[in-house]
Amino acid sequence: MTLSQGKAIFIWGTAISAVIFLVLTYDSLVQMPKRTQEAKLDAHVAAGKWTWQKHNCNDCHTILGIGGYYAPDVTKVMSSRDNAWVTRFLKDPEKVWPNPRKMPNIHLQDQEVADLVAFLTWVNGIDTNGWPPKPMVATAVTSLSSGEEVYKAQGCSACHTIAGVGGKVGPDLSKVGGKRDKVWIKTQIKDPKSHNPQSIMPSFPKLSSKDIDSLANYLAGLR
Amino acid sequence: MIYESQKIALNYFIVAALLFGLQIVFGLILGAKYVWDFDPLLNILPFNTARAIHINLLVVWLLFGFMGGTYYIVPEEAQTEIYSKKLANFQLILFALIGVTAIAGYILGWSWGMPFLEQPTILKFGIVIVALIFLYNIFMTMMKTRKWTVIQGVLLGGLVMLAGMFLFGVFFMKNLATQYFWWWWVIHLWVEGAWELITGAIMAFMLMKITGVDRAMVEKWLYVEIGLVLFTGIVGTGHHYYWIGTPNYWLWWGGFFSALEPLPILFMVIDTLRSVRERKAEITNRVALNWAVGCAVMHFFGAGVWGFAHTLPQINQWTHGTQITASHGHFAFFGAYAMLNLTLIYFVMPQIKGLTNFKQSLGIKSFWFMCSFMALMALSLAVAGIVQTYFQRILGMDYLTTQEYMKLWYAVFWVSAWGFAAGVVMFLLDFFRLAKGKA
Ligand code: HEC
Ligand code: HEC
Ligand code: HEM
Ligand SMILES: [Fe+2]
Repeated sequence: MTLSQGKAIFIWGTAISAVIFLVLTYDSLVQMPKRTQEAKLDAHVAAGKWTWQKHNCNDCHTILGIGGYYAPDVTKVMSSRDNAWVTRFLKDPEKVWPNPRKMPNIHLQDQEVADLVAFLTWVNGIDTNGWPPKPMVATAVTSLSSGEEVYKAQGCSACHTIAGVGGKVGPDLSKVGGKRDKVWIKTQIKDPKSHNPQSIMPSFPKLSSKDIDSLANYLAGLR
Repeated sequence: MIYESQKIALNYFIVAALLFGLQIVFGLILGAKYVWDFDPLLNILPFNTARAIHINLLVVWLLFGFMGGTYYIVPEEAQTEIYSKKLANFQLILFALIGVTAIAGYILGWSWGMPFLEQPTILKFGIVIVALIFLYNIFMTMMKTRKWTVIQGVLLGGLVMLAGMFLFGVFFMKNLATQYFWWWWVIHLWVEGAWELITGAIMAFMLMKITGVDRAMVEKWLYVEIGLVLFTGIVGTGHHYYWIGTPNYWLWWGGFFSALEPLPILFMVIDTLRSVRERKAEITNRVALNWAVGCAVMHFFGAGVWGFAHTLPQINQWTHGTQITASHGHFAFFGAYAMLNLTLIYFVMPQIKGLTNFKQSLGIKSFWFMCSFMALMALSLAVAGIVQTYFQRILGMDYLTTQEYMKLWYAVFWVSAWGFAAGVVMFLLDFFRLAKGKA
């Protein structure tokens, strides 16, 4: 190989790749408004994005799978949590979902929280080509996410006590199975207001029916 | 060293070495936060702030190294003194001031909030000015003699591309997906484009000087290597466009081209080993040689092998955004760019200080410490990442529960990081001894 052949490889290699890349870039930019539902991207969402950046949430959390790996990915968080939960959580993480690994209280203004929720809701609607993928081993999941794990993962213990562990906002659940049946508990989880219109317990309607089922089984079994 | 102005490199390397040390301090803090849940710094230096500082220091010390190296190499290639020593010193001070402001700002909660690009917009404009001064100074030096060697052409090309790509990360966009689309033009086209050109040119220069092989040979392969880097790397950007709201044809384009990215890196290994085998000069600076060969090998494993491992969409779908990515990020940045700069420092320092013969044992020891402990760090994060991928993504366990199962590997990582830090301390001691001119 000669120097000029080397140079030709450089020039053609770069040029071909650059042309392909620019064409695909153009096409992507044409398609992305639809794929990301830009029609729903209003001023609140934009303000929420800036709030997300201003507080540098992204160096703890990944979003679209990019960022810090220290905290859960929030791309699809609004598929599993509802507005009320996220709003309360962002105001005071420790109170709503206490975990060994902590998110600091960032002391967000109400408007900032509302914007963040709008932003996360919009992000939830982005067509990510199916990412994150559905777990592969569906059967193993049942055994892993037992009712007790769902209880932990959803932060019920922020308000409830079981066997002396947990918060005091809601009633002690150590013996709740002796008082309530499974169906009643399921309703309480999905819609607490149906039992008590003034309930301050967050609803968990976005939990999968499997998770609600195992959670209710677990609680109904506590006697 | 032939030209007086090549000494400009010294101050750049001093700043680079100090920032490198500081980067590792923040790394150890971050690691501790993974190992222990209780975080006494939760409200003073939370994880996000420490991470922003850790990765900014990384990029900035590498840039200081590249700049110092450029100020050292260009006079010899262009056969003339640097256009303006004053500008070079001014540029150094301005960049350092912006850096200090940025870090102080992060601690006070002043952030732009995109990873790696956390610098507030005013500071970004400052960085652009620094880059312009630097490029102007280098370009004017080259214009003095107009000796367009391939090495200095590629070096300049890489530096211009580096500065140009940064502009895609300066502006706020309402659409997060579009913002990340352009964000990758900075991050990916830096590490798998511009920085590879700069590395290729600097490495070619050093190999030529260390081993005495012919320029014609070195430059021919330099062309081939960077040709393949850009051919695979430009469309290869698509390996970041699988899941961020971009069309799904990127799974094909990104997967195919990025899978070829290890090829040019393999060429660099072969090229380095061949230059050493066919050397025409006796190699006295064994520390620099160690770093050079080590760099080629670790570049290949960290970027080539670790990158390839998760670049195909069928795999990336499961591993995207897990500790697998962190493992690769550490291994590749260290193997390719930290090691390139360490090679450069050990190649340049004795020459600037006029030390024909200097004590090398501590340098070589620090080389082995850093390389082996980095390999352990990368391996432990890889295991943590495999555990995470399996439990969280394949079995569907929730994120926080999975983290509990990864604790052991975070601990192994953190202990290894202390070994790495020991290597860095040795390097710093050795470096400042050389900087004082002591053999
Ligand atoms: C210092 C790291 C850190 C920062 C900064 C941070 N978070 Fe968090 N976040 C966490 C951790 C850890 C959790 C896990 C739950 C917990 O702490 O109880 C979490 C949980 C969450 C959740 C719930 C996720 C789920 O899966 O249900 C949301 C939503 C969230 N954070 C949003 C934000 C937003 C918005 C910001 C910026 C304003 C932010 N976080 C900043 C660490 C952080
Ligand atoms: C913000 C605090 C809060 C959280 C979080 C919370 N609850 Fe409650 N929960 C309450 C309160 C308060 C009550 C009392 C009844 C009411 O007001 O609805 C209650 C009542 C209940 C009851 C009925 C107990 C009885 O003896 O009647 C059950 C069962 C229950 N919660 C289950 C759960 C589960 C399961 C979760 C987690 C998925 C959860 N709660 C999360 C506050 C909370
Ligand atoms: C020296 C060169 C390289 C460096 C410094 C480097 C560094 C990095 C870093 C820091 C990230 C994480 C970015 C983030 O999300 O914040 C990353 C991601 C990635 N890199 Fe590299 N890389 C290099 C080369 C390569 C190569 C050659 C390949 C492929 C063959 C590759 C494949 C990937 C992939 C697939 C990801 C995305 C991971 C994910 O989906 O989470 N990298 N790289
Ligand atoms: Fe990449």
